[in-house]
Amino acid sequence: MPTVAMTVNGKAVAGTVEGRTLLVQFLREHLKLTGTHVGCDTSQCGCCTVHLNGTGVKSCTVLALACAGASVVTIEGLADGDTLHPMQEAFREHHGLQCGFCTPGMIMSAVDMVRRKGNDLDAQTIRKQLEGNICRCTGYHNIVLAVQAGAAAMKTAKA
Amino acid sequence: MSQAAQSNRIGQPVRRKEDLRLITGRGNFSDDVNWPHQAYAYFLRSPHAHARIRAIDARAALAIKGVLAVLTGRDLEADGLKPLPHVADSGNPHEPDLVAPPGFKEMIAPHHVLAIDKTRYVGEAVAIVVAETVNLAKDAAEALDVDYEVLPAVTATRAAAQPGAPRLWDSPDSNISIDAEVGDKAATEAAFARAKHVATFETQINRVTGVTMEPRAAVAQYDPATRRYTLHAGSGGAVRLKQDLAKILDVPANDVRVLMDDIGGNFGTRGMIYPEFGAVTWAARRAGRPVKWTCERSEAFLSDYQARDLAVTAELALDAEGNFLAMRGTNLSNVGSHPTNYGPLKKGVEIMTSLYRVPCAHFKARGVVSNTMITRPYRSSGRPEVMYVMERLIDIAARDFGFDRQELRRRNLLKSHELPYTNAFGMVYDSGDYHDAMEKAFTLGDWAGFPARRAEAKARGKLRGIGTANYVDTATGVPRERAEITVHDDGRVDVVIGIVSNGQGHETSFAQLINEWLDVPLEKVRLIVGDTDIVQVGGGTHSGRGLRLGSIVMWNASNKIIGKGKRIAARMMECDPSVVHFAQGRFSAQGTNQSRTLTEVAAAAQHLPDLPEDLRGPLAAFSDETIHIPSFPYGCHVVEVEIDPALGTVEIVKYAAVDDVGRAVNPMIVHGQVHGAIAQGVGQALWENIHYDPASGQLLSGSLMDYAMPRADHFPSFVAEFTEVPCTTHPLGIRPGGEGGTTPALGVMINAVVDALSDFGVKHIEMPATPERIWRAIRGRQ
Repeated sequence: MPTVAMTVNGKAVAGTVEGRTLLVQFLREHLKLTGTHVGCDTSQCGCCTVHLNGTGVKSCTVLALACAGASVVTIEGLADGDTLHPMQEAFREHHGLQCGFCTPGMIMSAVDMVRRKGNDLDAQTIRKQLEGNICRCTGYHNIVLAVQAGAAAMKTAKA
Repeated sequence: MSQAAQSNRIGQPVRRKEDLRLITGRGNFSDDVNWPHQAYAYFLRSPHAHARIRAIDARAALAIKGVLAVLTGRDLEADGLKPLPHVADSGNPHEPDLVAPPGFKEMIAPHHVLAIDKTRYVGEAVAIVVAETVNLAKDAAEALDVDYEVLPAVTATRAAAQPGAPRLWDSPDSNISIDAEVGDKAATEAAFARAKHVATFETQINRVTGVTMEPRAAVAQYDPATRRYTLHAGSGGAVRLKQDLAKILDVPANDVRVLMDDIGGNFGTRGMIYPEFGAVTWAARRAGRPVKWTCERSEAFLSDYQARDLAVTAELALDAEGNFLAMRGTNLSNVGSHPTNYGPLKKGVEIMTSLYRVPCAHFKARGVVSNTMITRPYRSSGRPEVMYVMERLIDIAARDFGFDRQELRRRNLLKSHELPYTNAFGMVYDSGDYHDAMEKAFTLGDWAGFPARRAEAKARGKLRGIGTANYVDTATGVPRERAEITVHDDGRVDVVIGIVSNGQGHETSFAQLINEWLDVPLEKVRLIVGDTDIVQVGGGTHSGRGLRLGSIVMWNASNKIIGKGKRIAARMMECDPSVVHFAQGRFSAQGTNQSRTLTEVAAAAQHLPDLPEDLRGPLAAFSDETIHIPSFPYGCHVVEVEIDPALGTVEIVKYAAVDDVGRAVNPMIVHGQVHGAIAQGVGQALWENIHYDPASGQLLSGSLMDYAMPRADHFPSFVAEFTEVPCTTHPLGIRPGGEGGTTPALGVMINAVVDALSDFGVKHIEMPATPERIWRAIRGRQ
C-alpha cells in the first residue's frame, strides 16, 4: 500500500493508505482527528468540511493520496492554542449549535465563506453559502447569526 | 442574538457548558469510540419488500481471509435471542385506552435483530458479517448467497388495510393490527344530525424520517470472565437501552453495561433500541472480539425508525353561527412491518379537537402493517398530524361556509376561565391563555397588513398567502425518573440522572437549576448520565420529559440535601436545626453571626465522627418519582408565503411563532428548540418524503440526494416569542419546549400555501407541497 505525507494542523504527518482511502478516513482513522465527522455518503451534509491548502473541501470527496504534500486544517487546528477562533467563539455566543455533530463542518465552511465573500455578510448571502451544510437541530436561525458575527469578529481580529 | 445572561440562575440565557468541546472537535460521538482489537460489522439487507428466506449459503463469504463470523436468523434462533421488547402502549392512566372490539385477534409479530424466515421490508437485516475491516465485511456480504422466494408486497397505508392486500403476518385475518374507537359515538351522531354545516377533509399525511446528523454507530464487547456485555451507542437514554438489550440477549440486566457520550440528535428516532445494537453485541460474543458498526446514511434511510404516515378522514360539524358542535373520523396509522408503538396514534387521536371547544367527538384509531420500515414516535409524536387536520378543517369550513378564518378560531378557542378543560376524549388541559398566544401571533405575523402585501405581490405576478394554526401538545413519556445528587467536600456537585442530552443542552440548563437551588457555580456541577453501572434508573429523553420530570427529581433531591445540611450545620454551630436557614450557599444560624458553607457542611458530613447514620457522608440525596400527569404546551403560529406561479416554488416570507413553555429555564435554549422544531415541521410540509414505490416496494428516497432536507436558504429568520403562563400541574410551572415548534408547522404551512392559491380555486395541497404539486394544482391538474 502506498504512503502519503501531508501537513495537518501545522504538523507533518504520514501514513500507509489504500488507494480508495478518503481524506476523512485518513484524518479520523489514521490520525485520530475525530472532530471531522461523516454525516452522509453523497457529499451533501458538509459535516466533513476541512480546509485543503486554504480552501474549504468536503473531505469525504477527496482521496487521501490526492493530498500528498498538501496542507490540511481541521476543526482541531482552528483555535490558536487556548484562544478560540472568532468563528468558534461566535457559534458558542449565538447558540449556533445543539447536538454539535454538524458544527465542525459548519465552522470550517463559515471560515471559508469569509475567505470567499468577505467579512460583511448579509443573512441572505450566508444562507445561500451554507447550502452545502445540513443541520437538523437549529433551523439555521442562530447559525446565520453566528456566522455573521464570526465574520465581523474575524475582521477585528485581523486588524 | 440572545441577551447576555445576568446570572446562572433559572430564566437566564446562559451560554452552554457543552459547547467548548463541540466547537473544538473534542466531542465524543459514537463513531469516535474505538476499542482495542476491534473487528467491524456489516449488515446484509433484504433487497425485497417481502420474501421468504429459503436458505443462506455463507461458505464463500467465510472462505475470505479476514472474515471472522457470519450470523443469520438461524443462528439467532439457535442462540436463543429474544425479540426486541417493544412496548406498544404506554398505559398512562390519564389517556384513553385504545380498546379493540370483542373478538379482535392480537397480531403476533416478533421483531428480531435479524429476519428469520421472512423479510418484510426493503432493508431488513438478514445477516451480520464480522471481519477485520469494514471493506472486508462488505466483500463477504456480497459473497453471501441468499435464496429468496419473492412474495407480493404492499406499502401504501390505505392499500395495506384492504381485505385483499398481501398479508404480512398470519394472524389476525388482515393487516389491521389495532382497531379502536375513542369518544362518544351516539352524542357525536346526534350533533352531526343537527349541524348546519359539515366540513370534510381526507388526507394522507406523508411519511418522514428523523435524519439525525450523526448516523447511528455502536461498538460492543463481551468479557467471558465476568460474562458481561458492554455496548457504547447513542440513544435517548442509557438505562432503557441496557434493559432492552438484556432482554434481547436473555441475560440479567446487570450483565449488560451501556455507555454513551455525545449524541448527534434524536427527535424520537433514537427512542428505542435498534436490531443492529442487539446484533452487534451478540456478534461480539460470537466473534470473541469487540465489534464496531457504523451506519451509512443510505443505510439509515432504510433502517432508521420512520414516522408519521397517517391516513385521515375527518369531519367537523358547525352550527349556523360557526360554533363547533362535534368532530368525527378515522385515523389509520401505517406502523410499518411490525406493530411496535401506538404512541403516535393515541397521542394524536386523544387531542383531535385541539384547543377548541368541541362538546363531543368520535374517532376510529386503527393501525395497519405494511412492507415498510417500522414507524415510531418522532418529534411531537402524533400531534402535528392531528393539528394539521383540525386547522385544515377550520380553514375549509371558513372557505366553504363563508366564515372569517380568524373569527372562527376566536369563537371556538377555549378561554382561560374554561380551564381546566376536559376535552371530548377525556384529556384535561390544565392551564394557559390560548387567546393571548393567538392574538400575539396575529400581531407578530402582521395579519392586519396582509391584504396590502398580497396586492403588492400580485402586481409583481406573485401569489401571497397567509395561514395560522393553534396547537396543543400532550407530553407524557416514561413516567419514572430518578436523580441522585452528591455534594463533594471540594464543592463539586455530581448529578446522576437517567436523562441523556441529544443536543438539548442539559449540562447547562440542569446546572442552572442546581445553581438556583444550591448556589453551586455552574462549572462545579457535573451530570452523569451515560454509564449504566452508575445510572440505575431513568426513562431517557423523549415526549418533553427531560426538563419536565428531571427538574422535579433534582428539586426534591436538592431540598433533601438542604434538609440534611441544616442538621449537620446545626451540629457544627451547636444550635437547633430549626433555626438554621440556607441561602446564598450558606447555612446560617438565626440570631447569630455563625454560618457554614455548603462545601464546609459536605466536608463535615465526611469527617464528623458522631453523625447519625442518615447524615453520614458523603452529603447526598436522591429522589425517585413516577409522574403520569401529562403536560400541555400550546401556542399559535402564523406564516406568510409567496409562490411563484410559473415555477410552483414557495418562499417563506415570514414565520411568526408564539409558544407557551410555562417557566423557561434557559430562554436561549428554548428559542433554539423552537427554531429547530419549526424547521422540522416545515420540512415535512414542503419537502421531506419517504417514498416507497408501490409497485416494487423499493425505497426511492434513500439518500440525501433523494430525500429533501431543510437547508439554510429555505428559511427566513424566525420571529419567535413565548408566553410564560406557569403550568399548574408542575411544581415549578415548567412546560416542555422541544416539540411545540413542530406541532403546528404542518397545518400552518399548508393553510398558507392553499390561501396563496385561492384565486385558482385550489382547495387543498397534499404534503409535501412540492413545486410540482403546486404547479399542477395551479394548472388544474391535481
